[in-house]
Amino acid sequence: MRTVILVGGATLLALVALAADEATVERGRKEAGLACSPCHSLRLVQSQRLSRAAWNKELDKMTGWGTKITDRDALLEYLLANYGDDKPPSPPAMSKNGFTPRKQQ
Amino acid sequence: MPFSRRRLFATLASGAIASQVARAADDTVAIPGKRPMILHNDRPEDLETPVRYFDSWLTPIEVFFVRQHLPRPQAIDLETYRLTVNGMVAKPLQLTLADLKQLPQFTVPATIECTGNGRGFYSPKVPGIQWMRGAIGNAEWRGPRVSDVLKMAGVNSSAAFIETDGADVGLASTPDFVRSLPMNKALHPATILALSMNGQTPDIHGFPVRLIVPGWDGTSSVKWVVRISATAQANTGFFMNPGYRYPKYALPPGTPAKPAELEVIEGMPVKSCITAPEDQQKIAPEPITIRGFAWAGENAIERVEISVDGGSRWRDAQLSPKKLPFAWRLWSLEWQPADPGYYTLMSRATDTAGRVQPIVSPWNPSGYLWNAIDRVGITVEKSA
Repeated sequence: MRTVILVGGATLLALVALAADEATVERGRKEAGLACSPCHSLRLVQSQRLSRAAWNKELDKMTGWGTKITDRDALLEYLLANYGDDKPPSPPAMSKNGFTPRKQQ
Repeated sequence: MPFSRRRLFATLASGAIASQVARAADDTVAIPGKRPMILHNDRPEDLETPVRYFDSWLTPIEVFFVRQHLPRPQAIDLETYRLTVNGMVAKPLQLTLADLKQLPQFTVPATIECTGNGRGFYSPKVPGIQWMRGAIGNAEWRGPRVSDVLKMAGVNSSAAFIETDGADVGLASTPDFVRSLPMNKALHPATILALSMNGQTPDIHGFPVRLIVPGWDGTSSVKWVVRISATAQANTGFFMNPGYRYPKYALPPGTPAKPAELEVIEGMPVKSCITAPEDQQKIAPEPITIRGFAWAGENAIERVEISVDGGSRWRDAQLSPKKLPFAWRLWSLEWQPADPGYYTLMSRATDTAGRVQPIVSPWNPSGYLWNAIDRVGITVEKSA
């Protein structure tokens, strides 16, 4: 009985922690929209695969260039959860055709 | 392997988000004037040329790669445009487009390659646009020589650099994109202020006036030029230091460079790429033409060799006829696969100075100057 309670408790704790992480990453996703996208599209972020140290360095660089980051810890967790150096590279996105050949005169 | 809830969650999250991104990317964005391009960034535009378009010596503008550091400026009014020439000159100038057109005009065929082309091949990964093979193109640039403009302004003989600024400006406190060029390169007869590219004036590529520094990294060829200043010292802004610098001494992969041991990049290495067939393509057991490009910065391409057996034996490719400094040569080799199966094709270029592509491109913290022997894997299928 005690074992069941312990295991149940541990599972509950793990679920709470997972939910907390999920909430942090979600906060970070919103922060990316607020902090990064005023200057560039998020594609620039999404194509990177960087370590915690390298992402931290990028955030330092962007802060130095005037980016206002209010929830840096959450932003960092979001970046690592999605664009960490342990993630596979993103498949190349293709733009739609924007070219119209000139008509022959 | 110990249980890691973070890893589990990250895997779930990345799968979900990546699939959304891929769908959105293919559905929504078209870049005016461009055919479908590999879309690294649409604001500002960072567009890579798919290798299938590299089948003509001049790269058409509608598929020419684009690298913008800063948002593209408002389209420049051709009537009110002025080029300021100042600094260490006897006679500061404000030149109109008509003034620039009245100077002798020169056509310079030159390949432009982003300094970070091939960054995506480096391991460990480094920050920056993850270009593969296609941040490169070859065009005919036409306009007056920078040396003629400097002569008109009476440049001081002790000026050691020109500093070039474009009309683009950074958002928030992003540094302005300003580049310095040593005076001897600025005075080179092939260094021009291009007023056209393949006979056109595409705004997205820096017109009405773009500096062209043949044989150097694309970063040197400043777009939308509005100011040239003769200076004694090189500019010290971000895009000269620490931006666009390369380690003086080779580094173990993944290690930082000492800032004092980073140097400004001058010139480009010898390089070739295979553009057909494409990596991981499946082909029928029939004769095919292996194709690609090769270029070597300020040198011309002397030779391109191809291996179809992972580098054991090499054969000379046929080269396109124009053997010029600054401009690439296209190459091709007819090949009949002997058997079905998986083949590793490789290309290796040699330039007129005897430089040969290495097997390993030196890792560097910004992922510049990738020029390793190119390699694609293909599967030759069995006859039906």
